[in-house]
Amino acid sequence: MEFMSVIVFGLVNSTILALTAMGFSLTFGLSGVANFAHGGLYLFSGYVSWMLLNYLGLPFALATLLAVVVAALAGALIYRLVIMPVRGIVLSEVIATFAVGVAILELFRWLGFVTYEFNLKPFIKGSVEIAGVAVDYQRIIIIGIGMLMAAVLWYFTHKTRIGLALRGMSQDEYTALSVGIESDWAATLSLALGGVLAAVAALAILPLGIISINIGYEVLLIALAVTVLGGLESTAGLVAGAFVLGYSMTLTSTLLGPQWMEVVYLVAIVLVLAVKPSGLLGRSKELEERV
Amino acid sequence: MKRVLLGVSVVVLTVLLAVAAGCGGKDSSSGKPAGKAAPVVIGVPTALGAIEGGDSLRAVQLAVEEINAKGGVSVKGEKRPLEVVSIDTREHEPGIPVTEALAAVEKLIAEKKPSAIVVGAFRSEVLLSSMELVAKHKVPYITTIAMTPESQKRIKEDYNKYKYVFRLCLNAPYLVNYLSKTMEFIGKEYKFNRAYIVVQDVLWAKGTGAGLEKWLKANGWEVIGMDTYPTGASDFSSSLTKAKAGKAQVIVPIFDMPQSGILLKQAKSMKVPALMAGFISPAVPGTAWKTFEGEVEGLVNLFFEIGPMPVKAVPKSVQFYEGYSRKYGQEMASKLSGHGPGPSYDAVYLLAGAIEKAGSLEPDALVEAIKATDMEGVIGRIKFTDDHQVVYGTNPKETATGVVFQWKSPGVRVPVFPEAVAEGKIELPSYMR
Repeated sequence: MEFMSVIVFGLVNSTILALTAMGFSLTFGLSGVANFAHGGLYLFSGYVSWMLLNYLGLPFALATLLAVVVAALAGALIYRLVIMPVRGIVLSEVIATFAVGVAILELFRWLGFVTYEFNLKPFIKGSVEIAGVAVDYQRIIIIGIGMLMAAVLWYFTHKTRIGLALRGMSQDEYTALSVGIESDWAATLSLALGGVLAAVAALAILPLGIISINIGYEVLLIALAVTVLGGLESTAGLVAGAFVLGYSMTLTSTLLGPQWMEVVYLVAIVLVLAVKPSGLLGRSKELEERV
Repeated sequence: MKRVLLGVSVVVLTVLLAVAAGCGGKDSSSGKPAGKAAPVVIGVPTALGAIEGGDSLRAVQLAVEEINAKGGVSVKGEKRPLEVVSIDTREHEPGIPVTEALAAVEKLIAEKKPSAIVVGAFRSEVLLSSMELVAKHKVPYITTIAMTPESQKRIKEDYNKYKYVFRLCLNAPYLVNYLSKTMEFIGKEYKFNRAYIVVQDVLWAKGTGAGLEKWLKANGWEVIGMDTYPTGASDFSSSLTKAKAGKAQVIVPIFDMPQSGILLKQAKSMKVPALMAGFISPAVPGTAWKTFEGEVEGLVNLFFEIGPMPVKAVPKSVQFYEGYSRKYGQEMASKLSGHGPGPSYDAVYLLAGAIEKAGSLEPDALVEAIKATDMEGVIGRIKFTDDHQVVYGTNPKETATGVVFQWKSPGVRVPVFPEAVAEGKIELPSYMR
C-alpha cells in the first residue's frame, strides 16, 4: 500500500508543483522577467476569492472567475507600474518584483489574515480509492487542471498568433520589434497571464490546506526550484522538474519523514546550479556550459 | 512618462514596504490612565498574530481594566493604575529567527521599562533565550504560553540568575501526563493499543511527543510511527497513509499551528479509521465545529488551562468568560484559544497581589511575593514549585488544571477528564462505530 501511495501522491504532488511554477515559468519564458512577486500573486488570488465568497457572498463560480481576472489585472499592473521603469536591468527587476511580492504578503499579515479561518472549500468533497489508496476529489481535480493548463499553454504559445508573437519577442526582442510586436505590450500580457496561472493554481491547491502567509514565500521557492531544475524557458523541463521534485519529496517524506521534504527542493536548487546550471532540459546556457 | 511611472511605483513600493515593515515589532500600549499617579507598566512581548498570543493580550487587557476600575494597585500606600505595553515578536511564523523575536523583547524592555512581563514568549526556543535578557534586566517574567521544562532546569541550576522567570501555564511534562491518562482510558475502554504520533517541529511539541511515546511503549502500546512536520506544513498524507497501513487505532497530533486543523479534514477524506486524541490548536475554539464543517467530530482535544470555556466547578472561569464576552463580544469569546488566555488573565491579578504584598516594584521583592502566591484563579488554585512552575493536577480546588474534552455532535465540547470537571466520557466517533 505504501508503494502505491507513493505512486499516487507522488503524481499529485508533482502536478501541484508544476501548477505552482507554471505562471512563473511562463512569464519568464515569454518576457524574460523573473517575476518574484509570483508567490504574492498566488496568495493574493486566494484571499481575493475568500473575501468575495465571505464578505460579498458571491457564488463560488463567480468569485473564482473574478479572482482570476483580478490576479491578471494585478500582474499587468505590476509590469506597468513597477517593472517597466526598470525594464532591462535584470537585478532591478528582481528586486522590484520581490519587493512587491513581500509587500503583498505582509500587507495581508498586517490586515490580520493569519488564522485558520481563512480557507477555501474544495470543489467537491469526498474521496475515491485508487489502487487501494484513498485520494480526495480535490487532488484528482488538481491533476485534471494541471494537465488541462499544460495543454492550453502549449496550444496558446505554439498555435495562436498572440502566443507566437510573445515567443518571438522572448527569442529576439529587436527582430520582433521590427515586425511590429510591441515589447511592453507583450510583457504586460505575459505578466497578466502569469497572474492568471498563479490564480488558477492557488484556487485549485489552497482548498487542500489553509490560506497562510508563509505559503506565499514557499510558492516562490517551489517555482524557483522547479524552473531551475527543469530548465528556464522550457515547458517540458518544467514538467520534468516538477516530477523529479514531486516524487523525490514524496519518497523523502515516506522514508525519512515529512520534516525533510522542504530540504529536497532547496538542495535541488543548489545542486542544479552547481552541476548543470541550464537545468535538465534548459537550452539557454547549454552552449556556455560546454565552452 | 517613464519618470512619472517610476515615481509612482517608488511611492507605492515605499508605502507598501513601510506597511510591511511596520508589522514586525509593532508595539502599542493600552490601559493608560488619565490620573496623576505614574502607571505600573506591564510588558506583553509575544506573538500577537498567533491566536494564543492575541487572546492572551486581550485577557491581560481585561484584567488590567478591571483592576484599574477599582483604583489600580497600591504601591507604598499610593494607588497606581496599571498600563499594558505590548510588542509583536512574530515568533510563531515560519522563518522568523529567535534573534528577531529577542530584539523585539529587548526593545520593549529598554524603551518601556516594564515593572514586569506577562504572557511572554510563544515559542520555547524564544523563552530560553529571553531568560538571559530577563536575568540581565532583572524583570519579573510570568510566562503563560511557552512550555519547555528546560526553563525550570535552568532556574534550578542557577537560581539567583534566572529566578525572575515563572510559568503560569501547562508545561510539556504535565501535558504528557494528561495525554497519557487519556490514552490509558482509551486503552482500557476500547482495548486499543496501536498509536501513531504526529508532532510539529518545535521544542515543546517534540518534547511532548517523545515523552508520550516513552509512556505508550512502557504501557503496552505499539507506536506505529512518529513524524515531525515543519511549522506551516499542510500536507499530512504521508503520515496518514502510514497510520492507515499500520492499522493505528489512535492518532496523537500535537500542534499549535493554524494549518494543523487540515489534518482532520485529510484524515476524513483519506478514510483513516482512527480516533484523534491529542492537541490541535485551531480545533479548540467553540467555532471549530463550524470552521471545519463538523470534521472535528470525535476529536479528543485539550484546554491546556481552564479559561476558554466556562467550567462550572471553577467559578472564576465563568466570571472570566462572562467578562471577556462583555468586553470583546460573544463571538470573540467563543473563539478563545485553549492555551494562554486563562493564565494570562490570572497573571495580572497575581502580579497586582504580589506588588501590594511586596509594597514595592523592586524586582527581587516582587519575585519573593510571586513565589509565595496561593490564590484561586481562572485556571484553578495557583501555587508555584521551587523551580517556579505552577503546580498542575486533577482538582482545580487544589491545583491548576487542564481539561481534556471531546467534540461531539451537534458541535459541543464535552469535558471528559479530569473527573473533577468531567461532564461526559470519551466515545468513539460515528466513523469508527
